[in-house]
Amino acid sequence: MEGRIIVVTSGKGGVGKTTATASIGAALALEGKRVAVIDMDIGLRNLDVVLGLENRIVFNIVDVVNGRCNLRQAAIRDRRIENLFLVPASQSDNKDVLTTAGVDRVAKQLRKEFDYVIMDSPAGIERGFENSVTAADEAIVVCTPDVSSIRDADRVIGLLYSRSITPKLVVNRIVPEMVERGDMLSHEDVLEVLSIDLAGLVPMDEQVVIATNTGMPLVLQNDSKAGQAFRRIARRLNGEPDLPVVVPSVKGGMWNRFTQKLGLKQ
Amino acid sequence: MLNTLIRKLSGHEPSKVAAKKRLQFALVCDKLEVNDKTLHALQNDIVEVISKYFEIDRTSLELKVERDEDTSALVFNTPIRCVRRSRV
Repeated sequence: MEGRIIVVTSGKGGVGKTTATASIGAALALEGKRVAVIDMDIGLRNLDVVLGLENRIVFNIVDVVNGRCNLRQAAIRDRRIENLFLVPASQSDNKDVLTTAGVDRVAKQLRKEFDYVIMDSPAGIERGFENSVTAADEAIVVCTPDVSSIRDADRVIGLLYSRSITPKLVVNRIVPEMVERGDMLSHEDVLEVLSIDLAGLVPMDEQVVIATNTGMPLVLQNDSKAGQAFRRIARRLNGEPDLPVVVPSVKGGMWNRFTQKLGLKQ
Repeated sequence: MLNTLIRKLSGHEPSKVAAKKRLQFALVCDKLEVNDKTLHALQNDIVEVISKYFEIDRTSLELKVERDEDTSALVFNTPIRCVRRSRV
């Protein structure tokens, strides 16, 4: 069976696309699937450092598309997570070096070799976005609960629809305390504005910074709430679409601590 | 929870209400925006159709999108030189 190509995109930069790509990719590999994560941010590569594989790069995606090496030479195997592979971006080229035809050709090969191919799209809606989306079967749009990120997500969702892709949304960096106070849009608000299906909700989590500092995949940190959220997103993608969405909630408030003590809440 | 209660009692609107309103307005406006290329193509098409029935002054026609607080209208203005009788 041919693998599925999923693009992770957002329009706006800095909302957590790369972390989402790394985490969902790693989580799918932990589910036993053969996964390739592809860094499509040519000239500004980062997926390699997020996954802690930056010192093992030999070839990159531009080399593969331009025929300077084959896919197997460019794909870096993760030694901590079985079946996870990274194809890094080139750091010295710019985004115009790739064409959609070239990416489509490599995508065909990727589909044969892997169960899941996750494309980490660059920010923006220009050439780099086009190249990331051209071969995609599905899309995950990442946004944070703020006005500018949601507006950009809306634009990207429109562009994906025009390519007959129905994307799913990940709302990242939810701060439950702020949502409860009414100072942050809730996921219901975001979904109402964007009218799109949900892939999952990810809370703000210090562990993301720590994981990126050390290059250890977030989903391997068992105490990371964001890591757990990404693992659930991966399971939803991988044949468990009805896995309930966990809404990030306030823990440790006075009332919560009280009800926890009474055993009313976990 | 206490904060929410205090805010409700004081009648102060939480900031997310403003965020949602502004966002919904921005998205509607974004969708009504037409780029120059589209507008130009539209103008050419309109002129072609009208020219079948009227002789118009192609140099002084005007096509624009007029926007109000909550409505948006396409306005096309052209002086007519004469009606093409041959078609009738």
